[in-house]
Order: sequence, then structure tokens, then C-alpha cells
Amino acid sequence: MELVRNWFNKLSLDRIQLELMNTAYGSGHASLSRLDPRGLLIWYLFFAIMPWFVNSLLVLAGMCLFMVVTTILSRVTPFIIFVLCLGLIGQVGWLFVISLFFGGDISSALPLLKLTLKLSVVSLASITVFSGMDPEKISDGLLALGVPAAFSFSLSYGYRILPVLFEEFRNVLLSYRLRGKAPEHPGLLYWRKGAYYLKLLVYAFFPLMLATAKRSRTTVEALETRGFSYGLKNPAAKKLKLSHLRFQTRDVLFLSGSAAYVAVLFWFG
Amino acid sequence: MSRKSLYTLTSSQKMMIFVLSMSLYGLSNMFTELIPSLQLGPIELSVEYFAFIPLTLCMLFHPFYAAVGAALGEVIFGELMLGQFGGLGELEKFLTFSFAMYVAGRIVRNPQNRTQVGIAVMTGVIIHQLCSSLVDIGKVWIGVEEFEAVPGLAESVVLVEGVSFLNDVLFSGILFALLPTLYLVPRLYGKIEPLLGIKPREKSTRYEAAGVVSPKLVLTGTLLALVAFGAESLSETDWNFGEWDSGFAEQLGDGAIWLSIGAAAVVAIIVLLAMRAKKARAAAQAGDTGGVPHA
Amino acid sequence: MPNEHRSLPASAMPEKTESPAIEIIGVSFTYPGSEQPVLNGANLSVAPGSFTAIIGGNGCGKSTLCKLFNGLIPHYYSGDFEGEVKLGGVPSQGQSVAELSRKVGYVYQDFENQLVRPTVLDEACFAPLNYGLPDYRERALRALDLCGLAPLASRFIWELSGGQKHLLALAGALALEPDILVVDEPVSQLDPRHARQVYEVLRRLNRIHGKTVIVIEHHTEFIADYCRDVCLMEQGRVLWKLPVTEALNRLDDLARLGIQPPEATQAAARLAALRGTAAQPLYPVTTGEALRHFGGLLEGPIGEADDRSRATGDTRDIGSTEAGTFGAIGTIDAADAADAIDAIDATVVRDAISAAPTARNPVGGPAEPKPDQRPPAAVIRLSQAALNYRTLRKAEHTVLRGLTLDIAEGERVALVGNNGAGKSSLLRLIAGIARPSGGSVDVLGLDTRSTSVEELSKHVAFVFQNPEDMFIEDSVRKEVAYCLKKRGYPDAGATVETMLRSFRLEELQDRDARLLSGGQQRRVSLAIGAAVRPAVMLLDEPTANLDLATREELLGTLRELERHVRTVLIATHDMQLVAGWATRVIVLHEGRVAADGTAAEVFADPELIRRAGLALTQSMELSAGLGLRPPCAAPQELADRLHRILAEKEAPSHGARPQLV
Repeated sequence: MELVRNWFNKLSLDRIQLELMNTAYGSGHASLSRLDPRGLLIWYLFFAIMPWFVNSLLVLAGMCLFMVVTTILSRVTPFIIFVLCLGLIGQVGWLFVISLFFGGDISSALPLLKLTLKLSVVSLASITVFSGMDPEKISDGLLALGVPAAFSFSLSYGYRILPVLFEEFRNVLLSYRLRGKAPEHPGLLYWRKGAYYLKLLVYAFFPLMLATAKRSRTTVEALETRGFSYGLKNPAAKKLKLSHLRFQTRDVLFLSGSAAYVAVLFWFG
Repeated sequence: MSRKSLYTLTSSQKMMIFVLSMSLYGLSNMFTELIPSLQLGPIELSVEYFAFIPLTLCMLFHPFYAAVGAALGEVIFGELMLGQFGGLGELEKFLTFSFAMYVAGRIVRNPQNRTQVGIAVMTGVIIHQLCSSLVDIGKVWIGVEEFEAVPGLAESVVLVEGVSFLNDVLFSGILFALLPTLYLVPRLYGKIEPLLGIKPREKSTRYEAAGVVSPKLVLTGTLLALVAFGAESLSETDWNFGEWDSGFAEQLGDGAIWLSIGAAAVVAIIVLLAMRAKKARAAAQAGDTGGVPHA
Repeated sequence: MPNEHRSLPASAMPEKTESPAIEIIGVSFTYPGSEQPVLNGANLSVAPGSFTAIIGGNGCGKSTLCKLFNGLIPHYYSGDFEGEVKLGGVPSQGQSVAELSRKVGYVYQDFENQLVRPTVLDEACFAPLNYGLPDYRERALRALDLCGLAPLASRFIWELSGGQKHLLALAGALALEPDILVVDEPVSQLDPRHARQVYEVLRRLNRIHGKTVIVIEHHTEFIADYCRDVCLMEQGRVLWKLPVTEALNRLDDLARLGIQPPEATQAAARLAALRGTAAQPLYPVTTGEALRHFGGLLEGPIGEADDRSRATGDTRDIGSTEAGTFGAIGTIDAADAADAIDAIDATVVRDAISAAPTARNPVGGPAEPKPDQRPPAAVIRLSQAALNYRTLRKAEHTVLRGLTLDIAEGERVALVGNNGAGKSSLLRLIAGIARPSGGSVDVLGLDTRSTSVEELSKHVAFVFQNPEDMFIEDSVRKEVAYCLKKRGYPDAGATVETMLRSFRLEELQDRDARLLSGGQQRRVSLAIGAAVRPAVMLLDEPTANLDLATREELLGTLRELERHVRTVLIATHDMQLVAGWATRVIVLHEGRVAADGTAAEVFADPELIRRAGLALTQSMELSAGLGLRPPCAAPQELADRLHRILAEKEAPSHGARPQLV
């Protein structure tokens, strides 16, 4: 009860906005993020797919260890790793517990442990690559790998428009509150208040949809005058955008090191 | 996507729909990421998503661009910007979600007909949740060697996924998809289109009838269509490995690495194909049991 | 200063007399789905290197005309198109929007939506990158430099002020190095100081870099100061194109289309009418001309120094405005630096002159208590109220530093001060939207710290700066009724009727408020606020973004408002509104009360005006330049006053001039 009340008191839209903006714009510059995004994406692809076809406990454990190391290298907070592991173990653990009711026994544990390892490798690989990397870099890497240019545009447009949308959303929500009626009693576990805010959250999208529609029209027209659609069809523009990507010694070292390590693992496994 | 569509749009209008859907659903996704969830053992009660936003837009505008825009909005705002992009996992979400929204948009012929809108909403939500559940089941099935040999595992996976499916459909689906969409679509119809300079969708669009659909039909149709949709989406991209070579031409000295990377790429492609085939099989099997909870 | 450069020979411009930069011959255009043609046989020719303003009433086709230049019409908007458009002598038919956009840069009225990239440099690089120009970075940096944004290149766009965003939109267009720049209503979304900043940049681009500049504008004072030619449109046709002084003296045409001439011109015309002198061929259009004109009439030794200091004063204040918002960010580039130095000199001199006798409440001190003027019951009571914001980089930003104020029932309070002085924040504190970080705010005896927004808003109505943010329903009637219904007011229906009638919204009641004009939207927002019959009403910049005719109308609406709400607070930049409406003026400066008194008291203090960065009306500046105290707020008043002085002077041949100091 106390917890819920605390949560409600602390929760203000200002705070949420601040936290979100901090997360979105304050992306750190980890050591791995200096690598070429194309190389990293290929690297990720390998570790995201390969584990599903490996059943050797040794190889999986080795891969997992490697991922833990790279994750730490990419300076992701240990907390994230901890939460992730807890989540995975919990999920698979529940599967195990339930399977006992369906006539399973302790022998189910080993296959499930392998599953956990696989899931961990995949998740840690994605954390390594994507949490530390600047989103602009991700989009450049994806663009280089053939993802449409509209995607990389949308990403940077997202960064541009988020504060504007947020401001507008806040004002609309405020309009509802200034002219609406809050429940007089918060209700058990603050459910009335929670329901009231959730309802407002949904209602607020009605005016927001109309306002955003109005905005997108100008935006798209302005894009036209700035050669956006021309650039989409122009291979020179794409080349120019990606001309800053350089494949350097450290990329080669990183990839070859990873390849050697995996080779050794398979050789033993 | 314009096989049967009577609905012709200029490329800038498509872009407007896309931008609109992306920013709105993206923003909502940031909120839903923040709303705390109630964890009851293996089952999570949470506000999964504000599906009413893409659903509404798919029903009012061209469903393809609204659906893809929304799915991309989720990836960008909800994942990349919050630093929780999950790589390939997002691709699966992207495809299932945009596909489900697209189908829902196609079902509606007359946005002012509430019954139609309601059916479309629930179909969309069910398709999406079913696909996600199947993919999750598939993951365990692929991930655990000799899946069938482990006693009780199949049942427990289906139970967990089934309950979370029910929760998402009944809780998020009704509260955050059905009711808001029923409220929004008739109110926005004829109002939001002129703001984009688009004519409201006509009642006479010849979209296929999908009034009474059996779960089995949806299931098989879904899987086939999902593959087709994926292929079609791919054809909209400029998936082209040729360009990527050019940047590397001068680097090709170190043969060993390239050999390994090349091998990895080949493996990756084979694996992708194999996975797809295996998944289809998995879905067909699991589907029979997966249908039980809501049957 | 403003009139000099107009007569300047166009030496900096390339001599391209052979073909006009833009030529429009007999163009008619009808938007798809519309019956009425927007353009109806429009003809226009714009010389290279000119600075042209396009004026006209609402819906006369100004924006449509400008969209011809870069081919948005007819390529982007398909519609019925007839006629011919030539750019630099070359027909634009057959060229795409993308090709034409390299020659014609376009800055939209809602420029915020034109910016699509997260950071300043990215935004400037965007267009040249799309065209695959290898020197995109250099182009972007050059463009940013031209707009004075170079020091901000690595900033996020949301960290910029409105004026800086507008300049960035301009830089984004300039990066393609077009010969022609089209700017749609630069003033409408900016406060007066930022607007002047934008115009200074446009002037430099025109005079030093030889760009052809076309602005859509209805603020004639800006036109008088910056433009060389004026083109008037009416009903899809170009009525005439004339040099600026002549154009702004076509008083009949302007009056017919609801365009207000500069206050200087209005005052001069009225004075001439009052004195019954034969109509002059040309009245003055700028402050400088008017000072000479009136000065000549008064035969007083009236210096033109004030004119000079006005221009420099503006530059200085822009600098301080930005500094107040984002820490010291230098936005003044080399060309302005000299002015800035002048400004500092002028400041020092003025400080020395006016320091002692006119010093009022020291900055930071609480307002002087005026016990005898106030009824005892204070509606709003702030005691040492402070407000801090946490900013993104985890720094605390202090907006209000301990305000102590009492506002009594029936007062009409104007909050003035430059951007970042804390006007809006004070309103938000009173409305309970923001909670004080220190001290307390009491409204009608309710402590805002422990009262919810929903509860407080029964007594305090808050009207946003942007009315569109208040629209949550799909018709005007529902907007007004929303709150009454939700809160179950008795006789809600009757109240809605009254409000619709009072604010002249009966005919608009079924329309979507988002699709109304600026003035109509403002009326709706006031009706929404007044509908609950609050004890206090707070208005944030009610005259911002309004054209002058609509603004006049709004003043009438405010009078209507007084019948429903007793106590009103307005945060504003609009000194004419302050002079004509407020019973009490509170000047905020850097989060403190710099002065608190009547409008006459505040305007009588030039040092305070300078320090708080208030933007005076042209009539007030003229009054100051002519040494009239207290200054006149409106041109009519100025003309009447001058008439009286002249009459007195003429009657007793050597009478005293009591009004002159």
C-alpha cells in the first residue's frame, strides 16, 4: 500500500519525460562502439543464430562465457545483466516446475539448462552490440547491409520528434486534467486513480492523432523540398552517407579473435 | 500491396501515413514500457501495448503503410531509443505485428460499422498474439534437443504460452485495443483524412470477406500469409549485398577472416531457411494443442 | 537606420538585369476538390537581388503563390494549373520539385515541422546529403555560419529557442546555396525580438550575399524596416508591386484588406487629418523617418540617437535572451559584434544618466508593499515561492527565485519580461501545474502543494499559449461543454449557450476548432476557460501569433471576459495590450520581480525597460524619441497628443510645452 502511494507520488510526467530523454539522448560511448557497425552486425548475426543449432554443453557454455566478457567490455551496467539472467532463469525455471506437474522429472533439467544457455548467448549478444552502440551507428550499419534508407531516416526523425510529441502530449493530458474530474477516493491499492490515469492516457491520443496528422503533412512536404525522395532513389546519396564507415585493424582483430575462439570451442566440443 | 486496392495514394501520402503511425505508436510504446506489470509466477499481467493506435490508423488509411509505420515506431521509440533493441527478435515482432495490424485493416470495409471494426480488432489482436505465442513455443522447441523426449515440457510450454495468450487477448486486447478503437474509428473517420489531404476510405472497397473465421483457418492462413508478407516486405526493401562489398574492396587482403565471415554468412542463410521450415512444422504441430485454451 | 539601406545602391548584388529571378505569367490554380481558384491570373516579376514582401488578407493566395516558385505547385499538389512560371528566365515546367528546390529555398510558417534531424549540424547537412553533394559538410557549416548558428552545431534541436529553430530552418534551406529564399511569415510564430534577429540575418543574406529574398508578411513595421518592394495580393491576383514607402502609403488598399500600416504611418496620417493639412504624398513608414517628420513639425532639437540605440538595443537583448535560457551561447556573429559593442557603450552611458533618479525596486527584492491600494483579501498569495527545473544534463535550473506577491480580487495583472524571465512559470505555479520548489503559493486559501490540479482548476482557469493544445473534442460546442459536463455543473446547457454567444462562436459551434483561424481559435480557448466561471483566469501570451486585425478583435474579447471573470493575469510581450488593459504591471527579470506598479509607472522608466528587455510599440518608441512622458501606447493617442502640443504651440506664440521634458 505504502509502496503504491510512493509510486504515485513520485510519478510525474516531468520526471518520466526527463528519464526517457536521459535514456534516449545520453547514450554512452562504450569501447566496443568504436568498432565498425557492419562488422558488429555480422558478428551479432552469427551469435544470434548459431546457438540454436548447437547442442554441446561445452560449446554453449564457452559461448556464454565469451558473451559475458564482451557484455562487460561494452560497459553495460552489471545490473542489466543481472536482471536479464534472473529473468531467463525465472522463465525457464517456471517451465521446469510446471513440467513436473505434467509428469516430468529431474532429467528435464539438463535440456532446459541448455535452453537457458542458448537464450543467454542470444540476449547477451544483442546487449553487447545494441546497448553500447549509438543508434545512428546502428542505422548506418543496417543501411550498409541493405535495410531501406527510410529506416535510418525514421530513426533520426524519431530522435527529432520525440521531445515535440512529448510536449504536445503533456499539454493535451494537462487539458484533460484541467477540465476533467479526478476520482474523489483513490480506491483500494489506488486502482481508481490508476484507472483514471490509464483512461486519460488513452483519451489523449484522440487530439494527439489529429495534431500529429496536421504536422506530418508539413513535414512530408518539407521533405520533398529538401530532396528526400530524390535522395532515396539516388545511390550516390547513400554512398556519401556511408563514406565515413571505415574497416580498421581493430575490427579485423575483433572478428578474427572471435572466429578463432569459436573454432577452438567447436574443436573441443 | 495494391493488388485489389481501389485506394490509390501518392508516395507522399504514403509517407504521411507512415510518419503519423510511426510517431504516435512509438510514443505510446514508450509509455507502455513504463507502466508496471503484475508478475504472477510465470504469467505476467501487463498493459502489453496500445494496439488501438495502429488498428485505428489501419482502418482509416492504407493498412500497409500504417501497419509498417507502427511496427517501426515500436522498434525505434520503444527499443532503440530506450537502449533495449533486441536484434533478430525485433524482426520477428516487426513482422508479426505489422502483419496482424494489416489484416485487421483489410477486414474493415466500412469504418463506421462497429461490428466490423470490433471483429477486425479482435482478429488482429488474436493473430498477433497467436503468432508471438507460436514463435515462443517454436523457440523452446528448437532450443531443446529432443523436445518430445522431455516429459511434461510440451504441456508446460503450451500452458504458459496459452495463459499469457489469453491474458493478452482478454486484458490488453479488450481494454487497450477493442474499446478505444470502437471509440476512435467512427470519431476520426472523415475528420483526420482531410488533415493529410486524403479522401476518406470508401465503403465500396472490394476487400475479401472475413466475417466468420475458424481458428484453424486463421492459423494456416496466418503462417502462409506471414511468409508471403515477409517476402513482400523484403521486396520493398533494397536488400542488396553488392553495395556493401564496394566499401570493403580495399580491405580484402586478410583472407582468413573473410573466409570465416563468409562461412558464417552462408551458415546464417542456410540456418534461416532451415528455421523457417522447422518453424512451420512446429507451428502445425503446436497449433493443434495451442488452440485448446481458447477453444 | 532602416530607411538608409533601402536607398542604397544595389552594389553588392550581381548585375543580372537581363532576366528576372522569378517571373509568373497569368497563373491560375485550383486545389483538387475545391471549386474556387486560389490563384486567378496572377502576374509577378521579381528582380534578382531584391527583398520583396508579399502581403494580402487571409486566403488571398500568398502561400500558394510562393509554392509556385519551387514547383510544389503544380508537381506536388495536383490541381488545375494554367499559366507559366520562369526561374531566372528558364521555364520551370518539366523540372521536378527536387531540381527547383536547389534554386529556391523555402522556410515554412510552422518551421518546427520542417526540422527532421536530431542535431543542428545533421539538419544542415540533410539536404546536400540527399542530393549526394560531396562537399555537404562544408556547405552545412557555411550555411550555419551565415545564420549565426555555427557555435551551436553539435546541439540537439530541442535545446534551441524558437528564433534559433527558425534560423536553422533557414540554414537547412541555405545549405543547397539557392539564389532565391522564400520565408513564409517569419514573425507569426516568434516573439518580436527573435523575429528581428531572423530579419537581420535575411538582410545580410540579401545585401552581402546577393540572395533574392521573398517574405510573406503582414507586420508592416518589419516590412518598412527591411524590405525594398511590396507586392499586394487580393483574391488570387497580384494587385500591385511598389517600392516599400509608396506601398505602405496606400492606406486605402491596406485598410480594405485588414492590414495595419506601421504605427508611425498611422500616427502621421491621423495627425495630418487632425491638422487639416493637405494630404502629403508620402507619410513616414519607419521610426527614423517618423522622428524626423514629427521632429520637424515640433521644431525641437530632437536627436536621432534613440533610433540608433533602438536597433542596437535589439541585438543586445537577443543575446541576453538566449543567455538566460541556455547559458551563454554566442549567437551574435561578427557582423553583429560591432553593434553589440555599441550597445554596451550605449548601456553604460544610459545607466550613468538614468541610474539614480529612476531606480525603482531593486532586482531581487520583493515587491514594495502597497497596503493602501489593495483590498485586504488577496486571491493569490505567493510567499517566497521558488521554482527549479531539472534539466537533461542533471543540472538544476532556477526559474523563479523567491517571489512574494499578493494579487487581489478584481485586478487585471500583466506579467511582462523577456523570454526566460519566468512569466509562464509563474502562471504554472498559480494554476498548480507546477509545485513550488520553495515557499508557498495560496490560491483562494488553497495551498497548491496539497491540492490536485483537478481541484484547483475549478477556481483557476489556465489558457495555453497555443490554443490547439487545449482542443480535446471535435467541435467547438463540445470543447466548451466538456468541463461543465464532466464535473456535472447545474444548467450546463444554458452556460454553454451564453459562452458561445458572448465569444461570438455560435456560427462556428459545430466546426472542429483545429480548423479555425488563429483568432477564432483564441476565442474558443477563452470561452473554454471562462465557461466554468473561475475566480481567476490565467492567459499565456494571448496575442502571440495573431495578425494585427485579429489582435484588435482579441482586445474586444478580453473586455467581454471581464464580465465573467473578476481577476485576470496575462503573461505577454505585447506592450500595447499592457498599456491599454492592465491595472497592474509586474515586470519579471531573471526570476525576480523587477518592478510592480501601474503601466504608466513602468513605461516611465527607460532603465527598467532596457534591463527587463521589454519590446516597446512603435508609438512608445516615437514618444520616447520625441521626449513625450508618459509615452503613448497607440498611434491615435500619439497623433492626438502631438496635435494638442502643436495647437498649443501655435496659439500662444511662445507657450510652454508642458508635455515635453
